[in-house]
Amino acid sequence: MSSLLRGEEMCLAQLFLQSGSAYDCISELGELGLVEFRDLNPSVTAFQRKHVNEIKKCEEMERILGYLLREVKKADISLPERDVNPVAPLPKHVMAIMEQLQRLEVELGEVTRNKEKLQRNLLELTEYTHMLRITRKFVQRTAEREPLQVQYEEFPFLEKETMMDYSSMQRLGAKLGFISGLIQRVKIEAFERMLWRVCKGYTILSYAEVEEYLENPDTGEPTKCVVFLISYWGDQIGQKVKKICDCYHCHVYPYPSSNEERNDVVEGLRTRIQDLHTVLNRTEDYLRQVLIKASESVYTWVIQVKKMKAIYYILNLCSFDVTNKCLIAEVWCPVNDIPTLRRALEEGSRKSGATVPSFVNRIPTSDTPPTLIKTNKFTSGFQNIVDAYGVGSYREVNPAPFTIITFPFLFAVMFGDLGHGVIMAVFAAWMVLCENNRKLKNTRNEIWNTFFEGRYIILMMGLFSIYTGLIYNDCFSKSLNIFGSGWSVKAMGWTKEQWENNRFLTLDPNVTGVFKGPYPLGIDPIWNLASNRLTFLNSYKMKMSVILGIIHMSFGVILSTYNYLHFRKKYNLYLVFLPELLFLLCLFGYLVFMILYKWLAFSAKDSRHAPSILIHFINMFLMQGDGLQPLYPGQTGLQIFLVVIAVLSVPVLLLGKPVYLYWLHNGSHRLGLYRGYERVRRNSEEELYLMRAHDMEEGSSHSDLSSSGENPTEEFDFADELLHQAIHTIEYCLGCVSNTASYLRLWALSLAHAQLSEVLWAMVMRVGLRMDSTLGVLFLVPVFGLFAVLTVSILLVMEGLSAFLHALRLHWVEFQNKFYGGTGVKFCPFAFSLLPSSFEHDGLL
Amino acid sequence: APGFSSEKQLTFNVDHGYLEGLVRGMKAGILTSTDYHNLAQCDTLEDMKLHLQSTDYGKLLSSSEEDLTVSLVDSKLRANLVTEFSCLRSNALPPLSTFLDYITYSYMIDNVVMLITGALKQRDVAELLPRCHPLGAFDQMAAVGIARTPTELYSAILVDTPLAPFFQDAVSESNLDEMEAEILRNKLYKAYIESFHSFCKNIGGVTADIMCPVLEFEADRRTFIITVNSFGTELSGADKSALYPSCGKLYPEGLRLLAKAEDHEQVKAVANCYPEYKLIFDDPEPGADFKTLEDRFFEQEVKLNMLAFLQQFHFGVFYSYVKLKEQESRNIVWIAECVTQRQKSKIHNYIPIFPGTH
Repeated sequence: MSSLLRGEEMCLAQLFLQSGSAYDCISELGELGLVEFRDLNPSVTAFQRKHVNEIKKCEEMERILGYLLREVKKADISLPERDVNPVAPLPKHVMAIMEQLQRLEVELGEVTRNKEKLQRNLLELTEYTHMLRITRKFVQRTAEREPLQVQYEEFPFLEKETMMDYSSMQRLGAKLGFISGLIQRVKIEAFERMLWRVCKGYTILSYAEVEEYLENPDTGEPTKCVVFLISYWGDQIGQKVKKICDCYHCHVYPYPSSNEERNDVVEGLRTRIQDLHTVLNRTEDYLRQVLIKASESVYTWVIQVKKMKAIYYILNLCSFDVTNKCLIAEVWCPVNDIPTLRRALEEGSRKSGATVPSFVNRIPTSDTPPTLIKTNKFTSGFQNIVDAYGVGSYREVNPAPFTIITFPFLFAVMFGDLGHGVIMAVFAAWMVLCENNRKLKNTRNEIWNTFFEGRYIILMMGLFSIYTGLIYNDCFSKSLNIFGSGWSVKAMGWTKEQWENNRFLTLDPNVTGVFKGPYPLGIDPIWNLASNRLTFLNSYKMKMSVILGIIHMSFGVILSTYNYLHFRKKYNLYLVFLPELLFLLCLFGYLVFMILYKWLAFSAKDSRHAPSILIHFINMFLMQGDGLQPLYPGQTGLQIFLVVIAVLSVPVLLLGKPVYLYWLHNGSHRLGLYRGYERVRRNSEEELYLMRAHDMEEGSSHSDLSSSGENPTEEFDFADELLHQAIHTIEYCLGCVSNTASYLRLWALSLAHAQLSEVLWAMVMRVGLRMDSTLGVLFLVPVFGLFAVLTVSILLVMEGLSAFLHALRLHWVEFQNKFYGGTGVKFCPFAFSLLPSSFEHDGLL
Repeated sequence: APGFSSEKQLTFNVDHGYLEGLVRGMKAGILTSTDYHNLAQCDTLEDMKLHLQSTDYGKLLSSSEEDLTVSLVDSKLRANLVTEFSCLRSNALPPLSTFLDYITYSYMIDNVVMLITGALKQRDVAELLPRCHPLGAFDQMAAVGIARTPTELYSAILVDTPLAPFFQDAVSESNLDEMEAEILRNKLYKAYIESFHSFCKNIGGVTADIMCPVLEFEADRRTFIITVNSFGTELSGADKSALYPSCGKLYPEGLRLLAKAEDHEQVKAVANCYPEYKLIFDDPEPGADFKTLEDRFFEQEVKLNMLAFLQQFHFGVFYSYVKLKEQESRNIVWIAECVTQRQKSKIHNYIPIFPGTH
């Protein structure tokens, strides 16, 4: 508990690791996750560090593993993601893993390349067959037309333009060439256009689409292709046509000169395609086997390599001593865990069989340690709420343990509804019960994860909402009459005419028998029928909000004493805490007193004479209460006294601390009062000096670090201090007013929630319930469905989120600014468990 | 009208806000002076790879199996830029999409000229294509080598490409040789930059405020470079002035004077009339590193492009990001080159971008 309240006590420790066993020791520490390493070579860049080659090796392995994983995924083999946690491999075993990986990579690479080559081959052959099949149609078409037309009728352009006679045409015809192949369908139009422009029509292009989708060898996507046949004239044009074909990435295949040749080629292709299919199948089988074998150990390897890389990364943070036999690491470590740390080092030394043990040495430091607050699965959610505002300064009072209760409570004040609370609690309880379910835990849905991480918060919120729901007597906007109402209508003795002629009738508690005493728990259910229910509840909830707010804030102010006492700033107790508390209590504490007094002092009988607290409160500041009936004897005197105290505490708050510090600083020289304090300082300085001398003897490189970490003697600047205190004073005094007003959000949100759920009931459920025929039963089903959906989506989720947000604000701003600095640095230990656990996160895939 | 432009600013985020945010985020990944400082300390390319891992480049260089070479670094950086650019382009709506297309046209012009000169030297297209800048890639690229004259190039091959409008002044029947190709490049570029300039002017608002100075500078830089490079060639003054883009600050008087310039001193005299160019042509202070004219222009360009990020709701950031990223690639390649050739003394001659940021 003390750890949760203040965080762990930390110390700076030096680890002396024998170079032989350093790797194992750090591996051991990584498994435990006890310590945070400090960088002892901050001036050395990443690539000049000691173990950079090992890290490069790890990266190489990661690359191969990434390649393996991609291939495994491509082959659709599921990865056995078991809960194995292999330890980091020994350095001597690394080579074996490396070799295994490299062998696998080479093998895989070869097989995949082969496979790709075969596939490409197959594709070419298929394309060739398609081309032959389709171009045959072109030729047949031409052949059909041939008898009807003159042979070169297809070149009308030429005929018109040139004066060539038939014989020269014939001569040119001898050079008629063909280029045929396949082109992607999207490109055919541009291709045709360019062909026309470049060759000025000395070519004929005929094309037809291939019905099947062919796989694009570069992207692997199925694409539509077009078979084309270009007949051209002359070599020069032929060259150009070839270039254009290249430009459009056409796959050009030799065009058979005769029909027999064509048939031969087709026949040959068919057998070759069949052969290729069998070879391809075998290759794929083999590839799959290799991948399945690899997939069995790939997970272990990934974890091992990650751990190894992390260890070398840590080793890079350490510095060597002169003799090079021993590594020095500086770590932050919780004081309580030092024995565990010692044991871990012993274990590491034992494992590596080192003769000289590694050991721990606590060193004094003037640096501020990082903050560590140990949490469990229940407290971590609440701690996260606090940390989101700011990580606590070292050993500062941690608001989280109080937040565990106050947060769900303030939430529930705004969310108070028994029914909604039950739904929320049941949902959270289900998450809590299934928290070990992997499917829920390891999902990558961020929104779900947010809810799942906060399951205990939601559970508490639900339970508290049930409680406040009972107090408000609200269950889906209806009241429960568990104990029987304390009011009796019968006792009023209304006649039949009165019932019929009046829409509103007033129950008078002063008539005997009408009011039999308060309802045992919460609001009397009779208010659910009353037309002035809202007025009644508003007054009640508003006052309640102010009372809760003042209590909450006073509690925050009181918590600040724990900080003052712990950090040995006792003067703050009198010069800051006391005026702050007096200011708050004299003004707003008195307001709370008046509210309670009015509740207790006035009963149903004299409620007509009950005064307005607001007027009294305003008059208190104006110091005039002549026209009003005092609440109690001596009220004016007490009020004047309180206001004077509150006003007087402001200058104390403003000037007290700076003046005292000024006096302390300047006076201490003259008066010599604080010699004892100085001696303490000198002692610690001597210690530091000794430490530095020791470092210099060792010649270690981090002597500059310890000197840079040393605090310069604190310069006291009165003006600075005064300014800070002035800002604080203004902030606090104004804050008391505005923060109190801010707590009225409790009332506002609770009102909004209650009204919304009532509207939902009136607009949806009541419509369904009004139908009194048998059909109404059927009609009720969809109506209830709608009601349920709206209840969950609007009242639970939306309203819940908004109440959560406001509760968060009340804690962060109104509560925590009274005592919480939140300027610390979080302790982040070196722990293997913090390494990203899934493959996707570390960029391997 | 000011009302019109402010209304445009009001609705800018509707269409282009996402991409502007994206590009500003990418800009945050541009290497800082600390990064350059660390890179310059590297001894091998492997070290550089390790350092670049800690920047936004991440695993860019480590994902390949091949050994690292400078050209591999170059092509990886280029591929990275292309990925980023195509992400922007594929999400862009008009008129931003047109604007982004305009950026690619300059690369297309360079590619066309490169292919022509390659074809003149009887190089194989398959060998040339990988050397083309992927930002300026287009379908008809491989066929460029077929053309013999600029007219043929235009009418047969480039007529369908976005470069076609820039051919207005460039069509001629003279055979393409290296000189002619260079002239073609400059003519196309002149048409391109003038068109881009007027496009930005038409968009108006902040985009015009930011882009026009940048493009004017670009135009003037080309003018200077053409003039300096034309010394010792038979290019006449009239020929030269046909190549000068007319949208720069030098227009019209400076262009007339530059067309007549015969040597470096005369160019310098012209530059002296323009305060922004005077700096570039000034003699270096004694003790300062010698920088080539090109580097000085690059430096000035980086400065101009950095300004684009000071204002919001305009397209200039996209142009500037591409240009800055290109400069960064040049810097990294320069450092890599120095590292492999062990020329540590010259390693600091890169041009820092955002020198103030850390």
